Amino acid sequence: MNEEDSPYLPESATILNVKKMAENEKLFEIELDSGEALNHDPGQFVEVSVPGVGEVPISISSSPTKEGNSFELCIREVGNVTGVIHTLEKGDEIGIRGPYGEGFPVDELKGHDVIFIAGGLGIAPLRSLINYTLDRREEFEDVKILYGCKKPCELLYEDEVEEWREMDEIDYRETVDECPDDVCWEGNVGVITTLIPGVDIDLDNSYTVVCGPPIMYRFVLQELKEKKVPDERIYLSLERRMKCGVGKCGHCQINGKEGEFYVCQDGPVFNYDVVKDFEEAL
Amino acid sequence: MKIIKKNVFEGLVDELIENDEREIIGVQSKDSKYVFDRLEKAEGLELDYDVTILPPKKYFMPQRETLVEYETREGLEMEPVNEVIPRIIIGIHPYDLEAIKQMDKVFADSPKDSNYLEKRENSVLIGVNMQQTSDWSFAGSMGTATVDDGYDLMLTDLGKKYAVEIGSSKGSDLLEKISEDVRDASPEEIDKVEKAKEEIKDEFDKELDFSPQKLPSLLADTYDQDDFWEENAEDCYSCGTCNIVCPTCYCFDVQDFSDISLEEGERMRQWDGCMLEAFAEVAGGENFREERAERYRHRYMRKGRYLYNRFGDIACVGCGRCSSQCVPDIADPTDIFNKLWRGKDE
Amino acid sequence: MKPEERPKAAFFDFAGCEGDQLQVANLEEKILDLLNIVELVSFREVMTEHSDDYDVAFIEGSITNSHDAERLNGIRENADVLVAIGACATIGGINSIRNVQDFEKVQERVYGDEREHYEAWEKAKPAKAVVEVDYEVHGCPIDREEFLHVVQSVVMGREPNIPDHPVCVECKLNENVCAFERDEFCVGPVTRAGCDSCCVNEGAICWGCRGLIDNPNEEAHEEVLEEYGLTAEEVIKKFDLYFAWQQEAREDE
Repeated sequence: MNEEDSPYLPESATILNVKKMAENEKLFEIELDSGEALNHDPGQFVEVSVPGVGEVPISISSSPTKEGNSFELCIREVGNVTGVIHTLEKGDEIGIRGPYGEGFPVDELKGHDVIFIAGGLGIAPLRSLINYTLDRREEFEDVKILYGCKKPCELLYEDEVEEWREMDEIDYRETVDECPDDVCWEGNVGVITTLIPGVDIDLDNSYTVVCGPPIMYRFVLQELKEKKVPDERIYLSLERRMKCGVGKCGHCQINGKEGEFYVCQDGPVFNYDVVKDFEEAL
Repeated sequence: MKIIKKNVFEGLVDELIENDEREIIGVQSKDSKYVFDRLEKAEGLELDYDVTILPPKKYFMPQRETLVEYETREGLEMEPVNEVIPRIIIGIHPYDLEAIKQMDKVFADSPKDSNYLEKRENSVLIGVNMQQTSDWSFAGSMGTATVDDGYDLMLTDLGKKYAVEIGSSKGSDLLEKISEDVRDASPEEIDKVEKAKEEIKDEFDKELDFSPQKLPSLLADTYDQDDFWEENAEDCYSCGTCNIVCPTCYCFDVQDFSDISLEEGERMRQWDGCMLEAFAEVAGGENFREERAERYRHRYMRKGRYLYNRFGDIACVGCGRCSSQCVPDIADPTDIFNKLWRGKDE
Repeated sequence: MKPEERPKAAFFDFAGCEGDQLQVANLEEKILDLLNIVELVSFREVMTEHSDDYDVAFIEGSITNSHDAERLNGIRENADVLVAIGACATIGGINSIRNVQDFEKVQERVYGDEREHYEAWEKAKPAKAVVEVDYEVHGCPIDREEFLHVVQSVVMGREPNIPDHPVCVECKLNENVCAFERDEFCVGPVTRAGCDSCCVNEGAICWGCRGLIDNPNEEAHEEVLEEYGLTAEEVIKKFDLYFAWQQEAREDE
């Protein structure tokens, strides 16, 4: 069988660097063994293979504007495959398929304000777009980042967050659901939605990009609605079960009265106006 | 249209079993039912069957199939795998030919699924028009009791002889071997075949009360009738039987298996079913179709609407396998679709 | 895996037929594969040596009296990982038929006049009702391949891949004629798959030895069995062969 013929054959890739980010999350820097760049759009995902254990879809966490040909994946340990990935070290080999799916509409966003709202691990896919806008800062208007997680120790990308806090050219705000008494935390305490009322949103000129756990969307979207943010100016990145990544296996389908979507091909990034009435979407 | 005597056809099949490199598959009996299976002798063929337990899809998309082999002894090595066994499959009913046409579209859609397509390209399909119908079938309503294409050869039983329609050069090549015993059909024989095809359409006990072309809009309108779906799904086992026996279900799961040394193994796909509880569950436990009724509705929506939206076909061919094999008897598409049709104006 | 890195494994039996250990002994050449990843220190069906220094304990049989429970607690304390193998250890198994019977009659039937000399619980229990169980290998008897898969998972510290869907899935994949279509009755629609529907493949029915799936539609199945002509009592009997302990545990929840 010809290798180009199988959409299921992963490319081999090597882990260049592993960095622990929080109790359950690590950042992996990976390069394809072919030496070529992944050529992804912000918001797309790859299927990561650990032969003998399985494959998992992981959104790409680095911007295509990053120097060099490597890319980064932020992986939370939640199952067998991610459990084994967490034991891997620099120099270990894995398989990669992709990039797959529709990412963020970067060209549409250019020339506008961009407001990022990330909850927990939702920062991982958003970071690819955040870093893209920072690397091409002149192509975007105001950039605002609202980032929330459960506890200060769960904050991801700490080094970069530290830079974001100091940057004049962006407006960065953060919150934690709760903060233990013995931890020093200068940011807000409260769920992510508590940050939204305080943010100025130029309704005619801004896009809001949201990613977080399923439960977060409903509350964030409600808050944005109160701010009168038009639905078509909101983009979301959704997670579903995926096996093939190429629109065949059927697992990632989202249904509604209006029809259906395949997250692996039509998403994972969706315009809120398009999916809002889909019963299974949010 | 050609005519061959039945004993000539059987001789051809025996000759193929004996000398052809391809595997010869035919419909055979299994206990009180029928299955597609490897044929030992032409006399084992049961072309006067009602329906098989599984559709012939299993020859292009096997129940379990290796996609990738790997080993890790000296660095990670991964190889694509496609075990293609060229086959001649004898006795496919029109509704199954229609289903295969639909699956061809699904797997040829970009990116192409070569594991399916190569097996499909290496197969010869010999269809047969139905002489008897399953009690649960409603192919007459779905327009799949007969087909005009999708086969390499198509047989119609005319007593001691078969009328043979040729659908492709793969089909005509087979007849080459017995060219001396093949003659053109007479006008009377052609009429007989046409009549048999017309008559079979009325032989189905189960019927859809309306045109299947109305299914997509009917299902869109009834998607949110939660009480209806919940009531009908109450006795569902979530056992996936209706998915697995369906000729147009193609969802699959992928799993890795390694030998105990953990140094080599394979990645396999296996038929999956959207009725199974874990179908839409992600690592971490969130299940995006957790309720029986949601999964139950999903199957009907997919057959009558979603796949139509994507590929242009109503993805139920009316074979009746799902309903005939559903133990609690809640999977009959005519029952559900007709109830929805009758209730739409209420 | 280097020989010295292999975890030490020991087998223990409680109330049961030892058929599951026999399955392991019958791995034949594959037992060498097993020995590549674990070091056997105690397994009376194949070796005379015994050691109480083990990491992984395999438990066969159900727990039926306080002496059993004490012994099992000791094993639990001693082992890093405890694996229940076979229906008796995972769901109470055949022994739990007595759980729904009159206990005095059960005692009399088994021990006769001597019954007061034997201490026995009214109900047979699986290992998990007494101690924490880390892994389970279902079945009566267990499947050898699945046993190896679970051992591999134990050694790697992974979740084994055990299906949570009914036997019907495998039965259909194997293109069996459904027991119900042969005018027989089975509990495959509520029983955990993973056996490759081996009994039905051979023309028998599914008796449920791998236990109920996590979310069985028992009500629907009771209705179906009654519709197929079984009396309520027969339906219960159908379920009690393997499900007696499990059903009671579900009711208690």
